[in-house]
Amino acid sequence: MLKIKNLQASVDKKSILKGLNLTIKPGELHAIMGPNGSGKSTLANVLSGKNGYKISGEIIFEGENLNDIPIEKRAQKGIFLAFQYPLEIPGVNTNIFLKTSLNSIRKSKGKKEVDTLAFLKLVKEKSSELGIDEKILSRQLNVGFSGGEKKKNEILQMKILDPVFSILDETDSGLDIDALKIIAKGVNSSRDSKKSFLVITHYQRLLDYIKPDFVHVLSDGKIIKTGCGELAEELEKTGYSKLN
Amino acid sequence: MQNFEINSNQIDKIDKISTEEKSFRIKNLELFKAVGFPHKRLEDWKFSDFRNIIDKNFEELNTKKVSSVVNKIDLLKDFEHNYILLVNGKLHSSNFDHEEKNKVKINSFDKSIDYKINKNPLVCLNHALAEGGYSLEVEKNYKLKKVIVIYNLFTKDIKNNILNNKNKIKVNENSELHIIELTINESKSKFINNVYESIILKKNSKVKNLVIQSNKSNGFFHKFSKSKLSFNSDYSNFIFSSGLKFNKIDIECDLIEENSKCNILSALCLNKEEHQEIKTLINHLAPNCKSNQKIKNILNGESKGVYQGKIYVKDIAQKTDAYQLSKALLLKENAEFNSKPELEIYADDVKCSHGSSSGNIDQESLHYLMTRGLTREDSIKLLIKGFLNDIIEFIKNPSIKKFIETKLENQINGY
Repeated sequence: MLKIKNLQASVDKKSILKGLNLTIKPGELHAIMGPNGSGKSTLANVLSGKNGYKISGEIIFEGENLNDIPIEKRAQKGIFLAFQYPLEIPGVNTNIFLKTSLNSIRKSKGKKEVDTLAFLKLVKEKSSELGIDEKILSRQLNVGFSGGEKKKNEILQMKILDPVFSILDETDSGLDIDALKIIAKGVNSSRDSKKSFLVITHYQRLLDYIKPDFVHVLSDGKIIKTGCGELAEELEKTGYSKLN
Repeated sequence: MQNFEINSNQIDKIDKISTEEKSFRIKNLELFKAVGFPHKRLEDWKFSDFRNIIDKNFEELNTKKVSSVVNKIDLLKDFEHNYILLVNGKLHSSNFDHEEKNKVKINSFDKSIDYKINKNPLVCLNHALAEGGYSLEVEKNYKLKKVIVIYNLFTKDIKNNILNNKNKIKVNENSELHIIELTINESKSKFINNVYESIILKKNSKVKNLVIQSNKSNGFFHKFSKSKLSFNSDYSNFIFSSGLKFNKIDIECDLIEENSKCNILSALCLNKEEHQEIKTLINHLAPNCKSNQKIKNILNGESKGVYQGKIYVKDIAQKTDAYQLSKALLLKENAEFNSKPELEIYADDVKCSHGSSSGNIDQESLHYLMTRGLTREDSIKLLIKGFLNDIIEFIKNPSIKKFIETKLENQINGY
């Protein structure tokens, strides 16, 4: 699914990712943990195609080098990023945005656009699964949403757009335990043999509910250790500093 | 402008003119001639150098009489309405079939001359030469059932003309009026339209005025709008304007009696070298009045937007609640927005606030939308629509709202 080779990324000559290698196969869920400033969010941004980074190395997604592929094309190919801090977009109705988004992706795949009725049915189904009050979806996108509502809205978007590869950037931060469980349930019910996930987190807590196939430790722009679920538990006890 | 000479002969040519009217006109002509076309050294025109703009765009100007003959116009089918048809500013015809008889009166051009001396040279020019226009009056205790659309048509044969028109709207006690002023432009050549508008709201009356200028036009527009609001009256003025080479709307609103409310909302879309200014002066002259102004500008190309907004609160106007906000979204580096908010307050128990901001498209928001599969272009359009949304939300009638949204959509798609 995804093969990252010697990925380096810098902003304003400040080097952040310093030769990162990672392979994710279909159906796998990888967790990336690491201290503040290690480059976790940069990795998420770079994978999404965000402008402003100087990049070298290769990101191969389903056999295609992503380096020159713009943000929206990546989304259309099935890459999804759940934001750590979802943006508030004043004046844009959440439902209209979701429908526009779904239809842009469908259109790019040569599929027919969904009509309002079918769309609302889909939204109803997915939002009730995540315990989202449908009323908030007729409000402006993320404006006045609580922290938990924003994060749930990200997962709702993931479920509606149905990507093959999802990156969750600290989706657990700022969530209470109930919201965390709901979100984990939402992610788990999306897992199948074709879909892959990259879950970025600070804490092992999330991984109690979303079981990763692999856990990587990112430090100073490189993956310094890879293991299975137990690695996260070990880190919880010892902290990151012991690894260096 | 070298090739623009006007003298009192032109005033002599005006039909059926009384001695008082003639001297009023001559006096205003003198006032105009003393300054000429307004220029940037005048404080009120410092961001809109009208003289320079005229010099650059016109080799000559005239005030020749123009025909107001027109075969037929296509009426809007989007919603039921009454209408008034103006041709080159002059009243052509009207139809109030949706209303009860004798409740709405219309006449051509109001000849009253009880206007105060105005320091705006274009107002003086209007007072000196205005001929065309309409005078609309709504009787007491009557709420119009349907909106009145004012089709403001400019014909092909008005090259280099300065059209001076005067319009008057009076809404009597407990009455309600909703108008939509729609500019239709058939003229391919350049012209100037200089309008004086006077709006009178009597006790408990309500006026909603929607101005839509959305065609590409070679017209240069200036409008001075003076409104007077009596007890518990409610005046709303919405301005949706795009595609004009030059447009300045100068609004002076007097809240003369208690509990009156005025609302000025504007969504302007500018492109290329277009220039638009909204200038307001809200005079809070009585206690417990409320004013609200919200001006939103989208500026593309090398366009220039201006907002000069002043709130004046007289010493007796306690419990005034006044608000103004101007925001600009600049899509290109060379676009420009100037804002000058002013408050002049002599009462001590008031709530007045103002804010102004201008900026580019937020790159983080753009990134967010694009990660959801929207193209850069579509994301920008969505952000623009979102930016203007809180102005559109004030339009409650669904079919009128849809009509405006379609107009705006066309404009945004043209970027």
